[in-house]
Amino acid sequence: MQENHWEISSKTSYWGWNIKEVWSYRHLVASLIRREFLLNYQQTLLGPIWILIQPVMTLVTYVLVFGVVVGVPTGKIPPVLFYFSGIILWNLFNDCFTGTAYTFKENDHLFSKVYFPRLVMPISVVSTHFLRFLMQLALLVLIMLYYWLFRQTPFLSTPWLLVVVPAVILVIGAIGLALGLFCSVLTAKYRDLANFVSLGIRLFMFVTPVIYPLGSVPENARWMVEVNPLTPLFEIFRYALLGEGTFTTYGLMYSVGFAAISLLLSTLVFNKQGDKLIDIV
Amino acid sequence: MANTIIEVENLSKLYRLGTIGTGSFRQDLQRWWNSSVLKKQDPFFDLQAEDAPANNQYLWALRDINFEVNRGDVLGIIGSNGSGKSTLLKIISRIVRPTHGSVRGHGKVSSLLEVGTGFHQELTGRENIFISGYILGMSKNEIRRKFDEIVEFSGIEQFIDTPVKRYSSGMYVRLAFAVAAHLEPDILIVDEVLAVGDSEFQKKCLGKMREVSNSDGRTILFVSHSMQAVKNLCNTALWLNKGRMQEIGEVSTIVNKYISKVQQKRLLQEWETPEAAPGNNLVRFSRLELIPQLEHPEAPMDIRTPITVKFRFWNMADNQELSVGLHLFSYGGDCIFDVSSPSVLFQKGFVEGECSIPGNFLNDGSYYISLIIVKDTSVDLFYFEECLSFELEDYRGDIKWFGKWMGAVRPKLPFKLEQTEMELV
Repeated sequence: MQENHWEISSKTSYWGWNIKEVWSYRHLVASLIRREFLLNYQQTLLGPIWILIQPVMTLVTYVLVFGVVVGVPTGKIPPVLFYFSGIILWNLFNDCFTGTAYTFKENDHLFSKVYFPRLVMPISVVSTHFLRFLMQLALLVLIMLYYWLFRQTPFLSTPWLLVVVPAVILVIGAIGLALGLFCSVLTAKYRDLANFVSLGIRLFMFVTPVIYPLGSVPENARWMVEVNPLTPLFEIFRYALLGEGTFTTYGLMYSVGFAAISLLLSTLVFNKQGDKLIDIV
Repeated sequence: MANTIIEVENLSKLYRLGTIGTGSFRQDLQRWWNSSVLKKQDPFFDLQAEDAPANNQYLWALRDINFEVNRGDVLGIIGSNGSGKSTLLKIISRIVRPTHGSVRGHGKVSSLLEVGTGFHQELTGRENIFISGYILGMSKNEIRRKFDEIVEFSGIEQFIDTPVKRYSSGMYVRLAFAVAAHLEPDILIVDEVLAVGDSEFQKKCLGKMREVSNSDGRTILFVSHSMQAVKNLCNTALWLNKGRMQEIGEVSTIVNKYISKVQQKRLLQEWETPEAAPGNNLVRFSRLELIPQLEHPEAPMDIRTPITVKFRFWNMADNQELSVGLHLFSYGGDCIFDVSSPSVLFQKGFVEGECSIPGNFLNDGSYYISLIIVKDTSVDLFYFEECLSFELEDYRGDIKWFGKWMGAVRPKLPFKLEQTEMELV
């Protein structure tokens, strides 16, 4: 006989989940990731290559619009690399955020029929996007290789900084997930917010150094970009890989601190509210 | 105590009705302002006091439910629509939280509140078995070990690598239930999922569930509208009535009480004034009654019971030639028969009629009746759909076989069987 006691009462707790329980559903996470890839790319001609085509098309647009027409300066970094690195980082953040911001709304049919740790859903979404990002990162490395071989563009002036790249990627994903979890609770409760969320994320992109380097922002407007915790992460990512970027240690600490605190808080809120939300959605 | 596996204590669930979502941000702010800043009593918590919600914005889906379930019990939960059955199952499944009270238990719980939870149309049967299995709480090894068994149980071996969107609905249900039937929880929670699927497969599932509870001492909570299924499968029954516990006890006692109570309600419909009555400006029903000829008033209606359907309606035009048709439907929606009265010329006033359905004619099951009033044997004046319903219990007498009796009807026909020659030894 398993002596696995449980109790269900009206009290919901911030610590209502435990890591062991989520861990026991790891195979579910794995097959949800698999499902996501299968669903998106089966019955399409090009299959998973779409993961790369989408950012490349965005890149072409940005190079034409911002590089050629508007003429945003990208410093020493070739515009193609500058924009592509910005695009894939932004996509990672944007996908992690929008993929989880509607967790309750999108999964209500499932959540109202069976219990499993609700956190499984956002975890699987975010994992999917990390995998996608890794493929796009590989393409970035290939483009860098091309520039290095044929254009003699110097890269990796400070090779030891490469060790921060994985950390930067994780922190960006964590901020996306944290804000997404927080929004998932809000969009489930107050549906109108869903409209603001999509508008807000578009505006948010303009205060993130995706299409321009921080260095090119006029002094008096710079605080708007610097208050964004993504900014130092984008800048150090470009600095580490491409050799140019503006960041400070304080800025980085701010980003990491923001990610850690917001992820903790939003996970707690998600757990606390998750059980009650099924009645509302 | 050691044998108690689920203990439900003072369980209540309050739902907020009406405009959910809109304006709730303002309400939430107000509540927060009142309780945190002004330190006033939260009006929401006032409602949780003993007196039921005064305004109809709130609904007690469950109120003060107390019961215990022992290991190995199969508990049937019965009650009319909206009595709180599904809410109770959802709370025990951890899907929704009770408003107050608690459920304590031990062991692994799996719930089956719909067929094919987690199934995705685009994925193949094989992939769906895994995802659905994981969602229902199976481990990877468990699914691997039972995979062949699941496929065999579902009987769709050839299609296992076909996306389920190409399945017939029957195949879909089979596969989904096959996964569920191979769960190995300590407590299995089943909502009316068997209502889908063909009767052959239903039998197989009921059989599998019974086997599971008998041999492995598994506890099952089972909600169904089919009293037959509850009686066949369960040993105890819990009757919920408008969110409150009516009674719990031995299954056949409870089911019989429930059926006779429900029938009393559904057997008579009456309208005092033509304004409120169903109909139109030519005819309106004033009274419908279904009268079973029972041996004693508490007895449930069974397949031997003759039934008379009496009706009365206002005829609101002179010189109308009217006839009435009676359609009897099975619960599944198949028309069992369609009979009609002779056509008669009527003046303004009441028209009464009756139709008798003999005993020993229908099979056991749930039925509903629709009445139609026809003018000049050709024009439909008013079709009163599903106006009466009833349930016939099984009666086997001295027959020692207990499987589901086939057929829409079960008439007693002259049937001869005799020995014509004896073999000489």
